[in-house]
Amino acid sequence: MARPPFTNDIRTLRFLAGEMTQGDLGDRVGVTRQTIAAIEQGKYSPSLEVAFRIAHVFGKPLETVFQWDETGD
Amino acid sequence: MSFREKIHWATLATMILAFGWYFLVYPWQIVGSPAGVMATAGLLVPVTIAIIAAMTVATGFLAIRSPRDADAREDERDRSFHMRGTHFGYYPLVVGIWLNIFLIFRDIGQAEQLNLMIATLVVAELVRIGTQLYFYRRGY
Repeated sequence: MARPPFTNDIRTLRFLAGEMTQGDLGDRVGVTRQTIAAIEQGKYSPSLEVAFRIAHVFGKPLETVFQWDETGD
Repeated sequence: MSFREKIHWATLATMILAFGWYFLVYPWQIVGSPAGVMATAGLLVPVTIAIIAAMTVATGFLAIRSPRDADAREDERDRSFHMRGTHFGYYPLVVGIWLNIFLIFRDIGQAEQLNLMIATLVVAELVRIGTQLYFYRRGY
């Protein structure tokens, strides 16, 4: 199964944001805990809206949360 | 595993068991006669009741175990997998309908038509649910 051609630092950013849980982030973004887990593991490619919402929760620009992976797909 | 994924597993198991039983016990020796239609009706009633009962129990049990997940609305990942499942389930549905149309011109009996339609619906549903579960498991 192909992976999204980008990686993300959501796990690290959650840790730095007071060890925010996947469930808390999901609630703030409007998706389920399982969807946050899938995004973190690179098993789901979120919509642009959800990607921006995640970045907004951490107060970071989008490219700080998601990075294009040249070695990816 | 999310609440919705568990429900899909329960639905898949229920469909396989209920319609597996239906096609196993159906009296195929009378399928060409008018009694075959009544046999279909007679078997569909317990199958429908069994599916409704099993899904009610499964949904209630899973909702009690994880009420927070049960209250959660379908998010974009759920909707995406749902759409992909519906997309893949459409193909067996079309093939089954065309097969039925073709066989009507070949003068097959009503009970045979009924069973072909039921089989078409069951296969389409299994493909839809199976596709959703595949994406829930494998991702992307």
